[in-house]
Amino acid sequence: MWFIYRLTLRQLSGRWRLLITVLLTALPVIMGVVHTLVEDAPPDHDFQTGVVGMLAGVILPLVVLAIASAAFTNEIEDRTLANLTLTPIPRWKIILPKLLGAISVAAPMIAISGILTGYFIYEGDVQAIASLAVGAVVAVVLYSVVFTWAGIMTTKAIGFGLLYVFLWEVTLSQIVPGVRFLSFNHYSMSIMQAIDERRFADEDMLSTGVAIGASVGVFVIFLLLSVRRLRRMDVP
Amino acid sequence: MTAPQDATATNGGQTREGTVFDIGYQHYDGPREGRNRSRYAVYKDGLKISLGIGRGAKAKVLPWMFIGVLMLIGAGMAMAAITIDRLAGDGTAESVGLPTHSDFYGIASIIMFIFAAISAPELLCPDRRDGVINLYLVRPLTGTDYIAARWAAFMTIMLMVAWLPQVILMAGLTLGASEPAEYLKDNWQDIPKFLGAGAALATYSGTIAMLVAGFTTRRAYASVFMVGLFTVSTPFTFGLAQELGGTAGQWLSMFNLSNIPMHVNDAIFNATSGVTMDAPAAEFDTWVLVSWFFLWTLLPATILWVRYRRLAP
Amino acid sequence: MTNASDAPTNGALGSQDAVIKVENVSRWFGNVVSVSDVSFEIKPGITGLLGPNGAGKTTLLRMITGLADVSDGKVTVFGESVRNNPALYARIGVMSEHETVYQFMKGRDFVKMMGQLRGVKDIDNAVDKAINLVDLSDAAYRPMGTYSRGMRQRMRLAATLVHEPEILLLDEPLNGADPRQRVHFQNLLLSYASLGKTVVLSSHILEEVEQLADTVLLIVNGKLAASGDFHAIRAALDDRPYHVRVISDAPRDLASALVKLESVDAVNVDPEGAIVVLSRNVRDLQIELPRLAKASGVRVRRVEPLDDSLESVFGYLVDR
Repeated sequence: MWFIYRLTLRQLSGRWRLLITVLLTALPVIMGVVHTLVEDAPPDHDFQTGVVGMLAGVILPLVVLAIASAAFTNEIEDRTLANLTLTPIPRWKIILPKLLGAISVAAPMIAISGILTGYFIYEGDVQAIASLAVGAVVAVVLYSVVFTWAGIMTTKAIGFGLLYVFLWEVTLSQIVPGVRFLSFNHYSMSIMQAIDERRFADEDMLSTGVAIGASVGVFVIFLLLSVRRLRRMDVP
Repeated sequence: MTAPQDATATNGGQTREGTVFDIGYQHYDGPREGRNRSRYAVYKDGLKISLGIGRGAKAKVLPWMFIGVLMLIGAGMAMAAITIDRLAGDGTAESVGLPTHSDFYGIASIIMFIFAAISAPELLCPDRRDGVINLYLVRPLTGTDYIAARWAAFMTIMLMVAWLPQVILMAGLTLGASEPAEYLKDNWQDIPKFLGAGAALATYSGTIAMLVAGFTTRRAYASVFMVGLFTVSTPFTFGLAQELGGTAGQWLSMFNLSNIPMHVNDAIFNATSGVTMDAPAAEFDTWVLVSWFFLWTLLPATILWVRYRRLAP
Repeated sequence: MTNASDAPTNGALGSQDAVIKVENVSRWFGNVVSVSDVSFEIKPGITGLLGPNGAGKTTLLRMITGLADVSDGKVTVFGESVRNNPALYARIGVMSEHETVYQFMKGRDFVKMMGQLRGVKDIDNAVDKAINLVDLSDAAYRPMGTYSRGMRQRMRLAATLVHEPEILLLDEPLNGADPRQRVHFQNLLLSYASLGKTVVLSSHILEEVEQLADTVLLIVNGKLAASGDFHAIRAALDDRPYHVRVISDAPRDLASALVKLESVDAVNVDPEGAIVVLSRNVRDLQIELPRLAKASGVRVRRVEPLDDSLESVFGYLVDR
């Protein structure tokens, strides 16, 4: 497993990919910095909601999509996946290190961005910062497992991923109340709320238990789906 | 053409003979068509790639899903207006401010941006990644021809994607009205308006997407970069513009990439759509906003052209 | 319709010690049938999978390796189903036709990783041995992106050999190799097979297979057209009558001249004016027909074989 994990880290930290993701994750931090520098800034609350929404709702899924979908798509496009499948390794031991590799690249970037952003917009409130960081990492893990699966299902995972993020997570989950039961954004928001009730309690949230249970369920289901796909697919 | 081709070579006074036999290759004797035919071929191929025509079912899913979603939005808006008018009497939909032609692009632009971001790389990236572009360029076809034909193909698709839902909306509203002919007589001006606004949105987003795709060979990078740029630009510029306020905020708001074509939409319909309502940039004069749009369309087009013009086999 | 599969095989394929068994295997993609009802057994030694490009060799090899699923039929290796049976890959080495390397990785690291993934003990020695075997020790510490095509191919072979597999499956392994490497490679395979291991290699070039393989499997249009010893197949083909259709501007004149030829068994003129020649010796016919036409002043417009699969077999075994 270790070898595949190390290989994945190397594959997913290409120059361009890192540049684009670092650029994206830097934006909320920049907003936070400007916020602290400007004297007569508008009320905090709207601004905080806006910045957190941008980080959690748009930047986070995009960054994870760019990283996690490539875990398998690149191997399939370059026809190198056979190097890994033609080995006496149980298939889950190929999926798991690939997924962990994607999480290991995406999570630190998002966590750092979350911590820095939180530091500036919440003026150093540790509880709020911790809540933002933990919520973000949970979302990274959930999106990673789904986009890793998408990457092994189709080489057009980016297209489907974008459609999913913007139609489902961003648009439908705002309009149709029931969608929040199936929205990663809402799972992570609920977890943030559980850590810091003062700041993240103003939305119609899922209970923490439901959110944690659903998160674990999603993780296991998509992990199993990926293993199943790797077993059944024709490896190019 | 069955005669063997003989050749003689002299090597240090010794004469050696070599013969190449024509073993029956099929020579092409048909007419040779010129550059325009090549341009047309690249154009047509571009259309096919964008829509997944001539490829497996999998290649069709994504583009048609986007087109389907956009048409659904158009149809849904028409249905809503018709239903309200039926229930509460003609003209209610208009009086309660239900979204209509002028609002459509505000609602649908994000989907168009994503569609552009996914489709444009399909047209340009694989050709460079797999080296196919060199095969094009050894034909009577220059880099300019290639990129112009590809761009034209993509524009055709983008215009279709932009106009089709509006046509559906128009048709729905007309047929749903109690006096269709009357409705058309009163509202025909909407047609040139949405054609213009749709063309603005299509050329702008299509050209920028092509530019982004022209700089990388991995499709994923191009798509994510473009979508990131467009989706983050609204909250980013909006938040910062509020922080800064005043003229600085107004100018920052001008860099909201998603709003640039929407200001043109507003100017054409003489209305304010939901997405530009709170943008400080909307306070600029119309000519500033329209020039800004042209700058942001022509500059990427020029950079793209310069980049491909220099490509030689 | 003649069928080459009932040509006598030379009995080299005993079923007792067959390590690979392919039973009634077919594979189709949508409407396209790539491999159609193919059965054979492979035992230790070198077996050549021969056939023109697009005949279905790669698909067949991919099914034997378990990379691709069968649409119908069964593939077993060492008596076990190969699909979804990762444990088997400890005993199999596969080299596909594509350049499946990680460009950023150093040659040695690649071979080492492949060894580790297959659970090789004493990994450093195994890696050195494999790299020495392909004669690439000098380039072992360079990223593979800087290699030439032939070098990448050899490093991939080292990665395939590092766990000393009992079965070696190679798809077009000699593509991109220069003549010296070719000889080196062939010697390597011969010595590998002499250890009692099984080597299967595919190729569309007859000579490659002829020099190496004890047994040939000839794949044409997705079907097994012939199998067995190369020379035996060739002899079997010579004994078969073979239909050739000749279109000319004076069919009756040409037909009467053709009958006199030694290589021709019978001649018919069909209602459309085409001549159908039955021959047991097409090699001679190929030479004699143009001469005859020239001598009798007849213009031959077209010569086409009617036994399609047989023609391809012939094309491969005789023409070259």
